[in-house]
Amino acid sequence: MTRIKRGYIARRRRTKLRLFASSFRGAHSRLTRTMTQQRIRALVSAHRDRGKRKRDFRRLWITRINAVIHEMGVFYSYNKFIHNLYKKQLLLNRKILAQIALLNRSCLYTISNDIKK
Amino acid sequence: MAVLCSSSTVILPTSSVKSSGCERKSPFLGFSLTAISKPSVRVGIYANSKRGLQVKCEAEQTTTTSLVPANQRWMFDEEEANGPDIWNTTWYPKASDHVNTDKPWFVVDATDKILGRLASTIANHIRGKNLASYTPSVDMGAFVIVVNAEKVAVSGKKRNQKLYRRHSGRPGGMTVETFDQLQQRIPERIVEHAVRGMLPKGRLGRALFNHLKVYKGPDHPHEAQKPLDLPIRDKRIQLQK
Repeated sequence: MTRIKRGYIARRRRTKLRLFASSFRGAHSRLTRTMTQQRIRALVSAHRDRGKRKRDFRRLWITRINAVIHEMGVFYSYNKFIHNLYKKQLLLNRKILAQIALLNRSCLYTISNDIKK
Repeated sequence: MAVLCSSSTVILPTSSVKSSGCERKSPFLGFSLTAISKPSVRVGIYANSKRGLQVKCEAEQTTTTSLVPANQRWMFDEEEANGPDIWNTTWYPKASDHVNTDKPWFVVDATDKILGRLASTIANHIRGKNLASYTPSVDMGAFVIVVNAEKVAVSGKKRNQKLYRRHSGRPGGMTVETFDQLQQRIPERIVEHAVRGMLPKGRLGRALFNHLKVYKGPDHPHEAQKPLDLPIRDKRIQLQK
Protein backbone atom coordinates (compact mmCIF):
# COMPACT_ATOMS: atom_id res chain seq x y z
CA MET A 1 0.00 0.00 0.00
CA THR A 2 1.26 3.49 -0.76
CA ARG A 3 1.78 5.78 2.13
CA ILE A 4 -1.15 8.17 2.63
CA LYS A 5 -0.93 11.08 4.99
CA ARG A 6 -4.12 12.37 6.48
CA GLY A 7 -3.09 15.88 5.61
CA TYR A 8 -5.02 18.75 7.02
CA ILE A 9 -8.36 17.05 7.62
CA ALA A 10 -7.97 16.63 11.35
CA ARG A 11 -6.41 20.06 11.72
CA ARG A 12 -9.39 21.75 10.07
CA ARG A 13 -11.78 19.96 12.42
CA ARG A 14 -9.72 20.83 15.44
CA THR A 15 -9.45 24.50 14.45
CA LYS A 16 -13.22 24.78 14.61
CA LEU A 17 -13.13 23.07 17.97
CA ARG A 18 -10.47 25.48 19.17
CA LEU A 19 -12.60 28.43 18.20
CA PHE A 20 -15.55 27.02 20.10
CA ALA A 21 -13.54 26.36 23.26
CA SER A 22 -11.47 29.53 23.03
CA SER A 23 -13.05 31.15 26.08
CA PHE A 24 -12.75 28.17 28.43
CA ARG A 25 -10.58 28.18 31.49
CA GLY A 26 -7.10 26.65 31.71
CA ALA A 27 -6.39 23.40 29.95
CA HIS A 28 -9.97 23.30 28.65
CA SER A 29 -9.01 25.81 25.98
CA ARG A 30 -5.52 24.55 25.26
CA LEU A 31 -5.44 20.76 25.07
CA THR A 32 -7.22 19.15 22.13
CA ARG A 33 -8.53 16.03 23.81
CA THR A 34 -9.82 17.97 26.80
CA MET A 35 -11.37 20.52 24.46
CA THR A 36 -13.43 17.85 22.70
CA GLN A 37 -14.79 16.61 25.99
CA GLN A 38 -15.54 20.06 27.33
CA ARG A 39 -17.23 21.07 24.09
CA ILE A 40 -19.58 18.11 24.41
CA ARG A 41 -20.37 19.02 28.03
CA ALA A 42 -20.93 22.64 27.10
CA LEU A 43 -23.36 21.74 24.33
CA VAL A 44 -25.21 19.32 26.62
CA SER A 45 -25.55 22.01 29.27
CA ALA A 46 -26.76 24.50 26.70
CA HIS A 47 -29.38 22.08 25.38
CA ARG A 48 -30.66 21.14 28.81
CA ASP A 49 -30.67 24.72 30.07
CA ARG A 50 -32.64 26.00 27.10
CA GLY A 51 -35.52 24.03 28.55
CA LYS A 52 -34.66 25.01 32.11
CA ARG A 53 -34.48 28.68 31.19
CA LYS A 54 -38.19 28.80 30.62
CA ARG A 55 -38.81 27.24 34.04
CA ASP A 56 -36.27 29.45 35.79
CA PHE A 57 -37.71 32.68 34.52
CA ARG A 58 -41.24 31.68 35.45
CA ARG A 59 -40.01 30.91 38.96
CA LEU A 60 -38.36 34.29 39.20
CA TRP A 61 -41.49 36.13 38.04
CA ILE A 62 -43.64 34.26 40.52
CA THR A 63 -41.28 35.08 43.40
CA ARG A 64 -41.19 38.74 42.45
CA ILE A 65 -44.97 38.99 42.16
CA ASN A 66 -45.40 37.13 45.47
CA ALA A 67 -43.07 39.57 47.22
CA VAL A 68 -45.15 42.57 46.20
CA ILE A 69 -48.53 40.91 46.74
CA HIS A 70 -47.65 39.96 50.31
CA GLU A 71 -47.29 43.61 51.22
CA MET A 72 -50.85 44.26 50.17
CA GLY A 73 -52.70 42.64 53.01
CA VAL A 74 -52.24 40.22 55.85
CA PHE A 75 -53.80 37.17 54.27
CA TYR A 76 -53.16 38.02 50.62
CA SER A 77 -50.74 36.00 48.58
CA TYR A 78 -49.72 35.07 45.06
CA ASN A 79 -52.05 32.13 44.78
CA LYS A 80 -55.11 34.15 45.75
CA PHE A 81 -54.05 36.91 43.37
CA ILE A 82 -53.75 34.47 40.45
CA HIS A 83 -57.07 32.90 41.35
CA ASN A 84 -58.73 36.30 41.23
CA LEU A 85 -57.04 37.01 37.90
CA TYR A 86 -58.41 33.83 36.42
CA LYS A 87 -61.86 34.47 37.80
CA LYS A 88 -61.98 37.84 36.08
CA GLN A 89 -60.47 36.27 32.95
CA LEU A 90 -57.59 38.70 32.86
CA LEU A 91 -54.95 37.40 30.49
CA LEU A 92 -51.86 39.13 31.85
CA ASN A 93 -48.99 36.68 32.12
CA ARG A 94 -46.54 36.43 34.98
CA LYS A 95 -43.72 38.08 33.07
CA ILE A 96 -45.64 41.27 32.47
CA LEU A 97 -47.06 41.20 35.99
CA ALA A 98 -43.56 40.98 37.43
CA GLN A 99 -42.38 43.86 35.27
CA ILE A 100 -45.39 45.92 36.32
CA ALA A 101 -44.67 45.09 39.96
CA LEU A 102 -41.17 46.45 39.54
CA LEU A 103 -41.59 49.42 37.25
CA ASN A 104 -45.09 50.67 37.94
CA ARG A 105 -46.11 49.50 41.40
CA SER A 106 -49.23 51.65 41.67
CA CYS A 107 -50.57 50.09 38.48
CA LEU A 108 -50.31 46.66 40.08
CA TYR A 109 -52.17 47.91 43.15
CA THR A 110 -54.97 49.16 40.87
CA ILE A 111 -55.17 45.82 39.09
CA SER A 112 -55.27 43.81 42.28
CA ASN A 113 -57.86 46.05 43.94
CA ASP A 114 -60.05 45.78 40.87
CA ILE A 115 -59.93 42.01 40.77
CA LYS A 116 -60.49 41.61 44.48
CA LYS A 117 -63.99 43.00 44.14
CA MET B 1 -24.61 58.18 9.47
CA ALA B 2 -21.69 59.85 11.19
CA VAL B 3 -23.26 59.29 14.59
CA LEU B 4 -23.17 55.52 14.16
CA CYS B 5 -19.37 55.36 14.06
CA SER B 6 -17.97 56.59 17.29
CA SER B 7 -14.40 57.23 16.32
CA SER B 8 -14.67 58.60 12.83
CA THR B 9 -12.81 61.82 12.39
CA VAL B 10 -13.99 62.61 8.87
CA ILE B 11 -17.65 63.31 8.21
CA LEU B 12 -18.85 60.65 5.82
CA PRO B 13 -21.08 61.32 2.88
CA THR B 14 -24.48 60.19 4.04
CA SER B 15 -25.35 57.49 1.60
CA SER B 16 -22.13 55.83 0.61
CA VAL B 17 -20.97 53.73 3.56
CA LYS B 18 -21.08 49.98 3.30
CA SER B 19 -21.43 48.96 6.93
CA SER B 20 -21.21 45.37 8.00
CA GLY B 21 -23.04 45.49 11.32
CA CYS B 22 -25.90 47.84 10.62
CA GLU B 23 -27.87 46.43 7.71
CA ARG B 24 -31.06 47.33 9.48
CA LYS B 25 -30.64 51.06 9.18
CA SER B 26 -28.14 51.76 6.41
CA PRO B 27 -28.83 51.49 2.71
CA PHE B 28 -26.63 48.85 1.12
CA LEU B 29 -24.75 50.02 -1.91
CA GLY B 30 -22.91 48.04 -4.47
CA PHE B 31 -19.72 50.08 -4.78
CA SER B 32 -17.03 50.38 -2.19
CA LEU B 33 -15.93 53.53 -0.53
CA THR B 34 -12.58 55.06 -1.33
CA ALA B 35 -12.68 57.89 1.23
CA ILE B 36 -10.91 57.23 4.51
CA SER B 37 -13.14 57.00 7.56
CA LYS B 38 -10.73 55.92 10.30
CA PRO B 39 -7.05 56.80 10.58
CA SER B 40 -6.30 53.23 11.66
CA VAL B 41 -7.28 51.66 8.32
CA ARG B 42 -5.21 54.05 6.26
CA VAL B 43 -2.42 51.53 5.74
CA GLY B 44 -4.62 48.71 4.61
CA ILE B 45 -7.02 50.76 2.54
CA TYR B 46 -5.76 49.49 -0.81
CA ALA B 47 -5.72 45.92 0.34
CA ASN B 48 -9.29 46.15 1.63
CA SER B 49 -10.73 48.34 -1.08
CA LYS B 50 -12.18 45.40 -2.96
CA ARG B 51 -14.38 44.49 0.00
CA GLY B 52 -15.04 48.06 0.96
CA LEU B 53 -14.66 49.47 4.38
CA GLN B 54 -16.11 47.53 7.29
CA VAL B 55 -17.47 49.94 9.78
CA LYS B 56 -17.95 48.53 13.25
CA CYS B 57 -20.88 50.20 14.90
CA GLU B 58 -21.22 50.59 18.62
CA ALA B 59 -22.44 47.70 20.69
CA GLU B 60 -25.70 49.41 21.58
CA GLN B 61 -27.05 48.78 18.10
CA THR B 62 -27.46 45.08 18.84
CA THR B 63 -29.78 45.51 21.85
CA THR B 64 -33.48 45.42 21.17
CA THR B 65 -35.25 48.74 21.07
CA SER B 66 -38.83 49.04 22.10
CA LEU B 67 -40.26 50.16 18.71
CA VAL B 68 -43.42 51.72 20.06
CA PRO B 69 -46.06 52.16 17.32
CA ALA B 70 -46.80 55.72 16.36
CA ASN B 71 -50.31 55.90 17.77
CA GLN B 72 -49.14 54.76 21.24
CA ARG B 73 -46.21 57.10 21.59
CA TRP B 74 -48.13 59.54 23.75
CA MET B 75 -48.24 57.02 26.62
CA PHE B 76 -44.47 56.81 27.03
CA ASP B 77 -41.70 59.17 27.96
CA GLU B 78 -38.96 59.93 25.48
CA GLU B 79 -36.39 57.58 26.97
CA GLU B 80 -38.90 54.73 27.24
CA ALA B 81 -40.17 54.98 23.70
CA ASN B 82 -36.81 55.25 21.95
CA GLY B 83 -34.58 53.49 24.41
CA PRO B 84 -34.07 49.80 25.19
CA ASP B 85 -37.06 47.57 25.77
CA ILE B 86 -37.71 47.55 29.52
CA TRP B 87 -41.09 45.80 29.43
CA ASN B 88 -40.38 42.63 27.48
CA THR B 89 -36.96 41.86 28.98
CA THR B 90 -36.95 40.75 32.59
CA TRP B 91 -35.30 43.32 34.80
CA TYR B 92 -31.82 42.49 36.04
CA PRO B 93 -30.10 44.75 38.57
CA LYS B 94 -27.16 46.89 37.54
CA ALA B 95 -24.24 47.50 39.87
CA SER B 96 -25.76 50.77 41.05
CA ASP B 97 -28.93 48.95 42.15
CA HIS B 98 -27.22 46.96 44.89
CA VAL B 99 -24.64 49.26 46.45
CA ASN B 100 -24.11 48.24 50.06
CA THR B 101 -24.18 51.80 51.33
CA ASP B 102 -27.71 52.37 50.04
CA LYS B 103 -29.28 49.27 51.54
CA PRO B 104 -31.73 49.68 54.43
CA TRP B 105 -30.83 48.55 57.93
CA PHE B 106 -33.33 46.92 60.31
CA VAL B 107 -33.27 46.29 64.07
CA VAL B 108 -35.04 43.47 65.90
CA ASP B 109 -35.29 42.97 69.62
CA ALA B 110 -35.09 39.22 70.18
CA THR B 111 -36.56 39.29 73.70
CA ASP B 112 -39.13 36.48 74.06
CA LYS B 113 -39.35 35.80 70.35
CA ILE B 114 -39.57 32.24 69.10
CA LEU B 115 -36.18 31.41 67.63
CA GLY B 116 -37.19 29.73 64.37
CA ARG B 117 -39.90 32.19 63.42
CA LEU B 118 -37.59 35.12 64.09
CA ALA B 119 -34.78 33.53 62.07
CA SER B 120 -37.14 32.91 59.17
CA THR B 121 -38.22 36.56 58.98
CA ILE B 122 -34.63 37.75 59.28
CA ALA B 123 -33.45 35.41 56.54
CA ASN B 124 -36.18 36.61 54.20
CA HIS B 125 -35.18 40.21 54.69
CA ILE B 126 -31.48 39.52 54.31
CA ARG B 127 -32.03 37.60 51.10
CA GLY B 128 -34.34 40.25 49.69
CA LYS B 129 -37.31 37.96 49.12
CA ASN B 130 -39.75 40.63 50.28
CA LEU B 131 -38.72 42.99 47.47
CA ALA B 132 -39.97 43.19 43.90
CA SER B 133 -36.35 43.52 42.81
CA TYR B 134 -35.47 40.05 44.18
CA THR B 135 -32.80 38.35 42.11
CA PRO B 136 -31.40 34.98 43.20
CA SER B 137 -27.91 35.66 41.90
CA VAL B 138 -27.48 39.14 43.35
CA ASP B 139 -27.42 40.41 46.92
CA MET B 140 -30.42 42.73 47.01
CA GLY B 141 -31.38 42.29 50.63
CA ALA B 142 -31.05 44.52 53.66
CA PHE B 143 -28.88 44.47 56.76
CA VAL B 144 -30.44 43.18 60.00
CA ILE B 145 -29.28 43.88 63.55
CA VAL B 146 -30.46 41.61 66.37
CA VAL B 147 -30.20 42.87 69.95
CA ASN B 148 -30.86 41.10 73.25
CA ALA B 149 -29.88 37.84 71.62
CA GLU B 150 -29.49 36.08 74.95
CA LYS B 151 -33.23 36.48 75.64
CA VAL B 152 -34.46 34.60 72.57
CA ALA B 153 -37.06 31.98 73.47
CA VAL B 154 -37.92 28.47 72.38
CA SER B 155 -41.11 26.56 73.05
CA GLY B 156 -41.55 23.20 74.71
CA LYS B 157 -38.60 21.47 76.36
CA LYS B 158 -36.11 22.66 73.76
CA ARG B 159 -34.28 24.78 76.26
CA ASN B 160 -32.83 21.67 77.88
CA GLN B 161 -33.21 19.21 75.03
CA LYS B 162 -32.19 20.97 71.80
CA LEU B 163 -28.66 19.94 70.94
CA TYR B 164 -26.04 21.92 69.07
CA ARG B 165 -23.37 19.73 67.59
CA ARG B 166 -20.03 20.57 66.08
CA HIS B 167 -17.17 18.42 64.88
CA SER B 168 -13.53 19.39 64.81
CA GLY B 169 -12.70 17.05 61.91
CA ARG B 170 -10.60 14.65 64.01
CA PRO B 171 -11.90 11.27 65.18
CA GLY B 172 -13.78 11.58 68.42
CA GLY B 173 -14.02 15.30 67.94
CA MET B 174 -17.78 15.74 68.21
CA THR B 175 -18.89 18.26 70.81
CA VAL B 176 -22.52 18.32 71.86
CA GLU B 177 -24.10 21.19 73.79
CA THR B 178 -27.63 21.89 74.88
CA PHE B 179 -29.45 25.10 74.09
CA ASP B 180 -29.05 26.62 77.54
CA GLN B 181 -25.37 25.66 77.80
CA LEU B 182 -24.69 27.48 74.52
CA GLN B 183 -26.79 30.38 75.67
CA GLN B 184 -24.60 30.70 78.80
CA ARG B 185 -21.43 30.50 76.73
CA ILE B 186 -22.00 32.40 73.47
CA PRO B 187 -25.62 33.56 73.09
CA GLU B 188 -25.06 35.21 69.70
CA ARG B 189 -24.20 31.89 68.14
CA ILE B 190 -27.74 30.58 68.65
CA VAL B 191 -29.35 33.21 66.44
CA GLU B 192 -26.49 33.06 63.95
CA HIS B 193 -26.77 29.26 63.67
CA ALA B 194 -30.50 29.52 63.10
CA VAL B 195 -30.27 32.20 60.41
CA ARG B 196 -27.32 30.57 58.67
CA GLY B 197 -29.34 27.40 58.26
CA MET B 198 -32.06 29.39 56.51
CA LEU B 199 -29.86 31.31 54.10
CA PRO B 200 -28.73 29.72 50.83
CA LYS B 201 -25.54 27.67 51.05
CA GLY B 202 -22.90 28.88 48.67
CA ARG B 203 -20.75 31.86 47.94
CA LEU B 204 -23.65 34.27 47.88
CA GLY B 205 -25.16 32.74 51.02
CA ARG B 206 -21.94 33.20 52.91
CA ALA B 207 -21.77 36.80 51.77
CA LEU B 208 -25.39 37.31 52.85
CA PHE B 209 -24.62 35.95 56.30
CA ASN B 210 -22.27 38.86 56.83
CA HIS B 211 -25.26 41.19 56.63
CA LEU B 212 -26.54 39.81 59.93
CA LYS B 213 -25.27 41.51 63.08
CA VAL B 214 -26.17 39.90 66.42
CA TYR B 215 -25.48 41.49 69.78
CA LYS B 216 -25.87 40.34 73.35
CA GLY B 217 -27.19 43.37 75.17
CA PRO B 218 -29.72 46.00 74.24
CA ASP B 219 -27.38 48.32 72.34
CA HIS B 220 -25.55 48.06 69.03
CA PRO B 221 -22.82 50.14 67.41
CA HIS B 222 -24.77 50.88 64.23
CA GLU B 223 -26.66 54.03 65.23
CA ALA B 224 -25.10 55.86 62.30
CA GLN B 225 -26.93 53.62 59.83
CA LYS B 226 -30.29 54.74 61.32
CA PRO B 227 -31.85 51.29 61.41
CA LEU B 228 -35.63 50.94 61.17
CA ASP B 229 -37.75 48.42 63.02
CA LEU B 230 -37.98 45.10 61.23
CA PRO B 231 -41.60 44.60 60.08
CA ILE B 232 -42.72 41.20 61.34
CA ARG B 233 -45.81 39.63 59.82
CA ASP B 234 -45.80 36.42 61.82
CA LYS B 235 -48.40 36.55 64.56
CA ARG B 236 -47.06 33.60 66.53
CA ILE B 237 -43.52 34.92 66.87
CA GLN B 238 -44.02 36.26 70.37
CA LEU B 239 -43.70 33.67 73.12
CA GLN B 240 -47.08 33.00 74.76
CA LYS B 241 -46.75 33.02 78.53
